[in-house]
Amino acid sequence: MSVRLKGTDSVVHIRWIPRYTGLERFLHWVHTASFIPLALTGFILFLPVLGCGAGCLAVRNLRILHRIAAVIFGGTPIVYGLLQPRRLLMHVREFFTFCRYDIQWLKAAVPYYLLGRHAAMPPQPRFNTGERLNALVMIVGTAAFGVSGLGMWFGKGLIPANLYLALLIIHDLAFIVTFAMFIVHFYLAVIHPMMWQSLVSMRFGYVSESYARKHHARWYYGRERAIRLWEQHTAEGGE
Amino acid sequence: MSNTHAARVNRRDFLRLSGAGLSGLLLYPSGQALASMPAESDLAILYDASKCIGCRACERACKTHNNLPEPEAANTELSPTAWNLIAARGGVDPDNQPFFNYQCMHCTDAACAMACPSGAMAIDDRGFVSFDQERCVGCGYCSQFCPFGIPQLGTVNLITGEGRVAKCTFCQDKIEAGTGGPSCAEACPTGALTWGERGTLLAEAKTRVSELKAGGHSGALLYGEEEAGGLHRLSILLDQPSAYGLPEDPGGSFFLARLYRKIVQPAGMAAFGVALVGVVTAYGLARRNIHMEEVE
Repeated sequence: MSVRLKGTDSVVHIRWIPRYTGLERFLHWVHTASFIPLALTGFILFLPVLGCGAGCLAVRNLRILHRIAAVIFGGTPIVYGLLQPRRLLMHVREFFTFCRYDIQWLKAAVPYYLLGRHAAMPPQPRFNTGERLNALVMIVGTAAFGVSGLGMWFGKGLIPANLYLALLIIHDLAFIVTFAMFIVHFYLAVIHPMMWQSLVSMRFGYVSESYARKHHARWYYGRERAIRLWEQHTAEGGE
Repeated sequence: MSNTHAARVNRRDFLRLSGAGLSGLLLYPSGQALASMPAESDLAILYDASKCIGCRACERACKTHNNLPEPEAANTELSPTAWNLIAARGGVDPDNQPFFNYQCMHCTDAACAMACPSGAMAIDDRGFVSFDQERCVGCGYCSQFCPFGIPQLGTVNLITGEGRVAKCTFCQDKIEAGTGGPSCAEACPTGALTWGERGTLLAEAKTRVSELKAGGHSGALLYGEEEAGGLHRLSILLDQPSAYGLPEDPGGSFFLARLYRKIVQPAGMAAFGVALVGVVTAYGLARRNIHMEEVE
């Protein structure tokens, strides 16, 4: 894509690289759209102070909304697995792969996200360390929500009370971890000034070549070449 | 220098302080919600199994007063429409004393009230566990937390989860109006169920247990003086609690309810607070230090 800069003769050529399939983007937003009402309706039982604040009848009806959203939330990864199993497997494999560069990334992330200092950020694959941690929390959280939620939904009165209580506490712990992660994910993806391309990629499916080169070098160049360039770069002490 | 040294907390001290803090959170009563000790003047019901003839007058009085439907056959389990039940749950020797009256035990450490998210279950100022059906959202947490299995959730729709809980209210409407006490106790023809101030009933129960022991019932005991912080439904038993299907130590679920409300949920709110404050602070720093013209 070529863009002429306003008021000049300069033309900038931008090469866009596909990052997400249409189905991935659609399901991501469906997952988000189901997570938000799940969290809001869950808060009513999580926080006794909300109790019947919205009216006890309303609270009783919100339970139905919670269940509908839960089915959509839990069904999204299943639909993805059925329609694009290879992509799902590829991503999951990457989510569970960590190396020493991830420790370096975590150390460099604070000055990068707070001060904009990119120099120490090591090369990353398609998903950076933070994105993979977010994905792991969501995978484990979704599984925990699924098991505990279905157990509480259909097992009330049928399963032993102590098991029910354990499921209730697991459900709440999953909520605490995933909602705290959601706050951080929302900030980095939507609000942080440097991450706009990440949001654009989840909207349109593409990132610019320069963004991919800088933020996801192991994906752009391939692992070996990216690491070689990175080591060369750090040996030269360059910015 | 010396101040710094004095202020330093070693790992053992830290663990000790953390343990004390955690224990305090779990054990310290939550003020208005739960009283720490039952008062002598609290209201209570005393059930004497040795006097019960199983006539079910208590069941009928409960249903009549609370407008609960009469079943075609006698109830065999508590339900949203059976808050008072004469039954043999624990395999008591039928030749000895087969009947026991099951109803809300009105615990001081009421796990149901601790777990209830809507305030439908609450500790009344007079000690019993009140219940407001209009506030019940049907989550059923009380039915799961109660160590006696008393509140029963009537699930209307399994798919939507719609349901309502019901249990003995100590006839709180009559208590509030000053027109009497629990209908079951007022209707009992043998005096197996009586009601009054807890301190008075405790003294009577202890005397009665001594009489029973002297009369040959060596296994007679008082149940509810200290269980679950002290019950407001005291029972004189002729055998071990397990013979009646009663837990020996019903306090465990209160601990879990307290863990749930006092540790897990506040920890969640703290985590959300830290995450929110963290991102707001991070955003402020990022806006000040990151120059957008340099951002690709």
